[in-house]
Amino acid sequence: MTERKPEPIEEIRKRFKDEWLLIKVTKHDKNGFPIEGILLLHTADKQELHEAILNLREQGEMGELMSWFEGPLVPEGWEVILSAFSSL
Amino acid sequence: MPSVRFDPKATFVRVPARVVGPKGVEWLGLALDTGSSRTVISEHVALRIGFNLLTAHSVRIATASGIVEARVVTLRQIFALGETADEFQVLVLPLPAQLRSDGLLGMDFLRRRNLFCNFGKGILLTLPFARNFLHRCQLVTHLFAAL
Repeated sequence: MTERKPEPIEEIRKRFKDEWLLIKVTKHDKNGFPIEGILLLHTADKQELHEAILNLREQGEMGELMSWFEGPLVPEGWEVILSAFSSL
Repeated sequence: MPSVRFDPKATFVRVPARVVGPKGVEWLGLALDTGSSRTVISEHVALRIGFNLLTAHSVRIATASGIVEARVVTLRQIFALGETADEFQVLVLPLPAQLRSDGLLGMDFLRRRNLFCNFGKGILLTLPFARNFLHRCQLVTHLFAAL
């Protein structure tokens, strides 16, 4: 956990590269999208992010938490084939 | 009208989505996937927002690489691309760590509105279905202004 001051999410995103960001959302725009928040964690390790959120929930954190990777959506050299089909 | 910016050069289109479970609210990046019939969230996210995957029922799903089993949970609410859906069923799958996204926004959600994509500028815009001719004209105005 590094910083505790609400700031524009765009500004937070500009400061980091190739890291997961964990942000507590404090403000939304008129369409409901998050625009301001408190940076709680930045890490390259997705598992660390997961455990941090679980810990926060255990401590009673009920706010909106945003996890967002800032950087390429897959590591260099990887390709992605998504899609799933099911009948429920 | 809500529009979303995305990186047109990225491997896939990622959009922010808010998911509400029994014990929490999270904003995630979901991959927009018109090839997926269902919306998917990762196992990690499902656990974090309060679902018990041991008691959730499972379904078999076909993927490009074979048949796998997925859990099914019902989100209290999902919001993405300006659209909100309550009591929305999603699949839960273990997603690889290399995928820097926490799920897929599939056709079951996307078909709730019209979706317009400008790959040149990296803008996604969703609009409600037109109710009548006048409404259609209003929507077209929004469409040209946004894209």
